[in-house]
Amino acid sequence: MNVEITRVTRRFGRTMAVRGITLTAGPGVLGLLGPNGAGKTTLLRMMATVVPPSSGRMRLLDRDPGLYRPRQEIRRRLGYLPQSLGYYPGFTIGEFVEYFALLKEVPPARMRTAVSAAIERVELGDQAKARLRTLSGGMLRRVGIAQAIVNEPDLLLLDEPTAGLDPEQRVAFRALLRDLGQHATVVVSTHLVEDVGAACARVALMDRGTIVYTGTPAELTARGVGHSSGDAPLERGYSAVLAAARS
Amino acid sequence: MRLVRLVRLVRLVRLVRLHVASRRVPAAAALIAGCAVALRVALSRRFDASGVLQLALIFEAACAAVIAVTSASPFGDCERTAARWLPFLRLTTVLALTALGAGALAAAGTGAHLAGGALGVLRNLTGLVGLGLLGALAAGGGLAWIGPIAYLVVGTYALWRGPVLTTPWLWPARAPHDLGAAVYAGLVFAGGLVAITVRGARDPAGQ
Amino acid sequence: MTTTAATAATAATAVTAAGRARVACDSGRVTARLLWLELRHNAMLWILPAAVLLFWFTTYRTAMALPPLWNVRAATFQSGAVVDFITPVVGAAAVIGTRQARRRTTDLVSITSLPRSARLLVTWAATSCWALAGYLICLAATYGETAREASWGGPLWWPAVVAATSVPAFAALGLAAGTLVPSRFTAPVAAVVAFFVLALSTELIVGSQSYWQVLPLVTGPWDTGKDPGVATFYPYVPDLSIAQVLFGGGLTVAALAAIGLSGGRSWRRPRAVAAAAATCGVLMAGTAVALAGTGRLDAHGMIEIPALHDAASDRPLRFTPVCSGTAIPVCLNPAYAGYLPATVAALAPVVREIAGLPFAPTKISQVAAVYAQGPGNSVEISQEALPSPSGSRLLGMLLPDQLLGPPLSVAQFEANVRANTGPSVLAYVVGAGPHASAAQVAVWTALMNAAGRPPGAQPSGSEQVGNAQGTEQPAAALDPAVLAATRRFAALPVSARRAWLVRNLAALRAGHITLGQLP
Repeated sequence: MNVEITRVTRRFGRTMAVRGITLTAGPGVLGLLGPNGAGKTTLLRMMATVVPPSSGRMRLLDRDPGLYRPRQEIRRRLGYLPQSLGYYPGFTIGEFVEYFALLKEVPPARMRTAVSAAIERVELGDQAKARLRTLSGGMLRRVGIAQAIVNEPDLLLLDEPTAGLDPEQRVAFRALLRDLGQHATVVVSTHLVEDVGAACARVALMDRGTIVYTGTPAELTARGVGHSSGDAPLERGYSAVLAAARS
Repeated sequence: MRLVRLVRLVRLVRLVRLHVASRRVPAAAALIAGCAVALRVALSRRFDASGVLQLALIFEAACAAVIAVTSASPFGDCERTAARWLPFLRLTTVLALTALGAGALAAAGTGAHLAGGALGVLRNLTGLVGLGLLGALAAGGGLAWIGPIAYLVVGTYALWRGPVLTTPWLWPARAPHDLGAAVYAGLVFAGGLVAITVRGARDPAGQ
Repeated sequence: MTTTAATAATAATAVTAAGRARVACDSGRVTARLLWLELRHNAMLWILPAAVLLFWFTTYRTAMALPPLWNVRAATFQSGAVVDFITPVVGAAAVIGTRQARRRTTDLVSITSLPRSARLLVTWAATSCWALAGYLICLAATYGETAREASWGGPLWWPAVVAATSVPAFAALGLAAGTLVPSRFTAPVAAVVAFFVLALSTELIVGSQSYWQVLPLVTGPWDTGKDPGVATFYPYVPDLSIAQVLFGGGLTVAALAAIGLSGGRSWRRPRAVAAAAATCGVLMAGTAVALAGTGRLDAHGMIEIPALHDAASDRPLRFTPVCSGTAIPVCLNPAYAGYLPATVAALAPVVREIAGLPFAPTKISQVAAVYAQGPGNSVEISQEALPSPSGSRLLGMLLPDQLLGPPLSVAQFEANVRANTGPSVLAYVVGAGPHASAAQVAVWTALMNAAGRPPGAQPSGSEQVGNAQGTEQPAAALDPAVLAATRRFAALPVSARRAWLVRNLAALRAGHITLGQLP
């Protein structure tokens, strides 16, 4: 298993953002659904080794991220797209992606190919020399995805990756997710249940810091039968599970 | 009618408070107060002639740099397009902080030997703030401090060289009552004030 | 079988070595590429023109207005460049330090495998590279022009090294400030604090034994640092420079380690390494401060630190003086060759009066100044004794620029030599000192008048005839009898005066001539 999380909690002062979550994930795409403030981003940041858990046990790519060397090894094989992508406006797309390839210690021999392949995969190959300050929001999101996949990660964590993408790009992105999920563990945090339905093999639903449901999208859809809230079957399943968790 | 006015006033006060908070004005005011305290402490020591002259200019430049940096907006276009009151808010913020800076530094020098006195502080500070505001227009609020700090080095040099450099552009080197120096410093301040009021600090995309 | 095993072991070793070399090579390429990206997008690049302009306005023009002596130009360069570069460098580095927080890239970059310390080292290196590039341009301009103008000597590199070391040190401090306190006010506050510390902490220096001398701005005993008298007759003493370089290195290590200490809240090992580095840095800087505190003004005008001092620095430099072709040659250190015409012109009237007389000096030579620490920051300067073989009559002198004071124009220089050195030379010839006889005073005054002092002008009653150059001169005020004798002697035709002096100078010097015996 690439992700093994056991009873992990994370506290920020008096706020408990994640409460004793247990989760495992192997290769494939795992969708992380949940309302605002459910703890999805905190869970993703812990998996990305940005913040350590307050308690509980965590193993990523069969390594303990709490130790220095294993953490460095994890980071070499990790891709992460945060919810709010920070960037340096003066960088070109090529420079930005290369910068992260360098930070992730992609071997120099593969550097050029890896950078251009990542940019091509998000369909920005013809604009590699454009400065980031000139890009639209959707294009910036794709640049963020490119930096996340430049090292061909074994564990890819994407926080709201489709925010700002046009419908055509979202369709292409789902295909990319399925492709990446062939070999890597991809965890996608999103509000858009149709993305989960189209691209994820498994789904976990979070609410108030805990996971209230895990299963396949089809199973989640089945939970919504007879539930009136939601326009699509998967949305009805999502609402039904949440309502059950809160009751 | 009176109630409507009162409501408007309350909303205006709230707007000013939020604008001030977005520009980190309270932190700037605290730094200015810190400069005044540091100046007072420094004035209690004995410095040689050039040290005394430099001392006031250093704290004036520090205050000016802090004031200029408050011009940076964290909101970018959404603020520019939404706020009818924005020019007035910018103007008020700069004027209030400049007045606070001049007042605090002059108060710090009361009873001590402050080079140039209150008049010198006012002239030097306004000129330096003007430089900072012009820098904010050109390079953005984040780099607005470069002007006052670079001028600090030049001004210190002019003070050290004494009467050799007499151009009114180097106003710190001239006597506090010198009309030419006051006019030049005032012109720079006015230019910076107009620029920042009308246009605001340049905000690079993605800031 | 054994041979096969050995061959396999050798091959394995070779493969391991090759692997290591490849990893090292890859690592180097990654670092170089990262550095290149940082260089292209470094804020220092945009602030650099301001730093260079500041240097040109405040330091280059000042240095070029000073005499083309390497010691003067190098000292001016060091203190000027430190202020001109460090202030903007600290601000720029602080801006760069706040970059991650401003651009919200902290999460993105903190999860990459390259250690935070390595990433920040590259950022610091890029900032320092740009600052040093600008600094080197300024150094080349200053030293290039000095090399063109200077008549003797070569570049003094220690002052340049001190300034160069302080640039990356303060860049590290600025970066640390920006990283630890990522606020919009960090850059201006850091820049002002750096300027304040540099410009005003020198006020705390009292005497030559001050810890504050470790600041890179200080080029020597405070208030005499740019004195032309130092490092011309004796080598440049690098003791203080070594302490300052050590201080810069310590600051750099401590500041960079402080950044490392601030990151990775729960990761122990990097913090331990950073803590060890910070301790080393603080120890280095502390040692430098302690060493600077043991400094003392040496006889040649520089700061000597006993623990760092090399006795070889105390041996005088060898040089061939430049001499005039006058009846009495006037010889100067070749570094001061440009001063020779003015010196000769100033001394010409005196030389004309005494040339050919017995006891006239065979040569007037510039000598080294001897420095002694006075109370507070005062420094007393006297002239070094001239080695004088028996029978030779060598007269030593100090040029006005070797004494403390503002640089002089040619006219001021000439007037100063005429007013101080000329009378000394005449006093040497007539043997007049503090206890000169009335006749010696009268002859000395008459010769002074003949050598160009305005006719009728006399020393006032309170005037002490003498100067700081150590040559003994008459100290008596002129009473009417002396004045009358002076006028009588000065009124003689030149040939009669010279003839009398040739016959009676020995007796006059011995104090055997009375006023009444003067013609």
